[in-house]
Amino acid sequence: MSSTRRRPATLRRVILTVAAALILFIWAFPVLWAVVVSLKSESEVLAYPPSVIFEPTLRNFRDALTGNLSIASSLMTSIILATATTVLTIILAVPAAYAFARLRLPARQGLGFYTLVTQMIPPVGLVIPYYLILNRVGLLDTYTGMITVYLTFSLPFAIWLMVSYLEDIPREMEEAAYLDKASRLQALWHVILPQIRGGIGVTTVFVFLNAWNEFLFAVQLGGNRIRPVTVAMHNFVSIEQTLWAKLAAAALVAMLPVIVIGILAQRQIVKGLTVGAVKGGGRR
Amino acid sequence: MSKVHVNPIGRRTVLKGAASAAALLAAPAVLTRRARAEATIGGDIDWKQASGTRITVGVIPAGYFQNLEAVLPQFREISGVDVTLEATPPGQIRQKAILDLSSKTGKWATSATDPMYYPLYVANGWIDPLTDFLDKPELTDKAWFDYDDLLENWRGAASIDGVPYGIPYEGEATIQIYRSDVYEKLGLSPAETLDDYAANAAKVNDPANRLWGAALRGFKGAGQNMYIYPSIFLAFGGKWFDGDKVVVNGPEAAAALDWYVSLLKSTSPEGVENWNWPDIADAFSQGTLGSYIDTHNSAALLADPSKSKVVGKVGFARWPKGPAGRRVTSIWNWSFPINASVSDKEKAAAWLFIQWAGSKEVQAATSYGFEGGYKRLGVNRTSLWESAEYKGLLDGIGAGLTQTTMDSIKEDTDVDWRPRVPQWAALGEVVATAVQSALVGQATPAAALDAAQGQVDGIMKQ
Repeated sequence: MSSTRRRPATLRRVILTVAAALILFIWAFPVLWAVVVSLKSESEVLAYPPSVIFEPTLRNFRDALTGNLSIASSLMTSIILATATTVLTIILAVPAAYAFARLRLPARQGLGFYTLVTQMIPPVGLVIPYYLILNRVGLLDTYTGMITVYLTFSLPFAIWLMVSYLEDIPREMEEAAYLDKASRLQALWHVILPQIRGGIGVTTVFVFLNAWNEFLFAVQLGGNRIRPVTVAMHNFVSIEQTLWAKLAAAALVAMLPVIVIGILAQRQIVKGLTVGAVKGGGRR
Repeated sequence: MSKVHVNPIGRRTVLKGAASAAALLAAPAVLTRRARAEATIGGDIDWKQASGTRITVGVIPAGYFQNLEAVLPQFREISGVDVTLEATPPGQIRQKAILDLSSKTGKWATSATDPMYYPLYVANGWIDPLTDFLDKPELTDKAWFDYDDLLENWRGAASIDGVPYGIPYEGEATIQIYRSDVYEKLGLSPAETLDDYAANAAKVNDPANRLWGAALRGFKGAGQNMYIYPSIFLAFGGKWFDGDKVVVNGPEAAAALDWYVSLLKSTSPEGVENWNWPDIADAFSQGTLGSYIDTHNSAALLADPSKSKVVGKVGFARWPKGPAGRRVTSIWNWSFPINASVSDKEKAAAWLFIQWAGSKEVQAATSYGFEGGYKRLGVNRTSLWESAEYKGLLDGIGAGLTQTTMDSIKEDTDVDWRPRVPQWAALGEVVATAVQSALVGQATPAAALDAAQGQVDGIMKQ
């Protein structure tokens, strides 16, 4: 390549990097601001102009985790809820999506559409029916009830997402496995699953994130036993005042599990992109 | 709040592990609170009559309920009732209570209730008349509880046709709060009329030096712009009813909304239409507002030197008079009704709790008698408002706070501050939306209210 062609390429890279940094900053700013606020005292938070030099304190984190408004037990509740929802969703969604993608099901189109329709109902319209049903079966304010409710919106979404990944896997790969006398389940496990690990990673992140951030159902269908962080954090927004510094500290602590899941899933997503048997293959 | 009382979470050991971890964290708090509890209470009744009953009480995250939770171990000891408070954000507590009451789940034996919801609850038979409890000597020691000592207007707000349905626990009056130093420097006195108020604000307003004239709640919704607008509307001579018809677009309404909009547009910081009460109090505490009209409760924050830059520079006055010659304060309090669909045993337990929480002893113990830093400023009894201890607490925040608030509660309260109809929840939303659309300039006040009237008519027909 000649040097005349390289210069525009370098310039392009610089522009792209700057643009990416700018866009990233827009998204990162609120988080960075929360970090700064969480290290300030409540009175410094309101100071104008905002103080840049201040004595950082970890008191807010201590108060958020052990104070009289502690979110510690709620954090555990959220972890149990989101993890159980995610694991169950993936276990159920992968075979269901496989069936939609591969099997000659009667009314396949209709069923697929029906799965999606459930996503079109605004969640607020479901609060009352869910409340009545859970009340009837005695599952209000229980993990079982809450996880079941979360599955009703995570499953359709996960199935719909996984179908698109599965449809991209060429049938020939499975057929090769059948020639080697693999059963359908063996083929799914040994041949298909490694190919869609990226898709599973993406789905896991979305499902976990949705369950983690859920507020509406949690506040109405939960209670003293099931009180995830999204609800518990409202204790810092009391009727008299908003405790911004403690709220920021609590929010940052609540972000950690999501970040961990994101990093873990990202590895699978990258592997899924690079390990594939047929790169760039599929039906697109 | 939930973590203090860790409930058995589930069957699985994993979950038990989580619960015991939480219990460990919470243990020191529980122990110290228990140790402090001196479980005595007056009242010549059998406090143990509902012993062993479990009830849950819905409340909101607020200092005044946290204080109640701190002394709750005393009630458990006195009554043997296992009561837990469930803190639910103020934006959701009403829906949650309605869900519980309408589907007869009986989750909350009682919950902190907005006075405006009594017509709806009573019309549907969701809550019990308290005469069933107040008039039974085995349940209530009338001489000791002294129902008539509860502030009259608050009692009235929790009653329908003279029948009590709720016992007020905490409440407030809306008052003018102003910077006495700034007013003095500019030779201003607190506003007597709404015109004065706008004129004062205009004189104080100096955005270049980060001082704005005044601010009122601008955010849309119940307890937000609908906490302010009804007072202005009535002060302008507005009437909610024309016969049986609810009217929101009369000429007084348009004039009231016009006053509200032009005050905020000309003398409030930008973005005030999204401000909530804590935002206003925060701004005032940082010295950037000349005045605001809001709950007397917010004054507590202004006396806290760790958060406030205006300690000792605060004055108080009643709501200014409107063109109709009236001062109208909000009527705001949280009261406890009894859920009609819980068992008799739970009703008795709930009544014991309500009676205990509303008693003079507990009101004092959660206010000036409280050991923690935050002391309640909205107790429910005339005798307490007149006591030297309580006056000392309020006037310590700023001279004249007790008198101003008491006068407002007695003189400026209108029990029909908002139209007490079962449809209010929906009507309030419609008016709130109209007020905000005028505040943000989407529509003129008159046009916004005309549009609202159409929706109001539709709702009332249903």
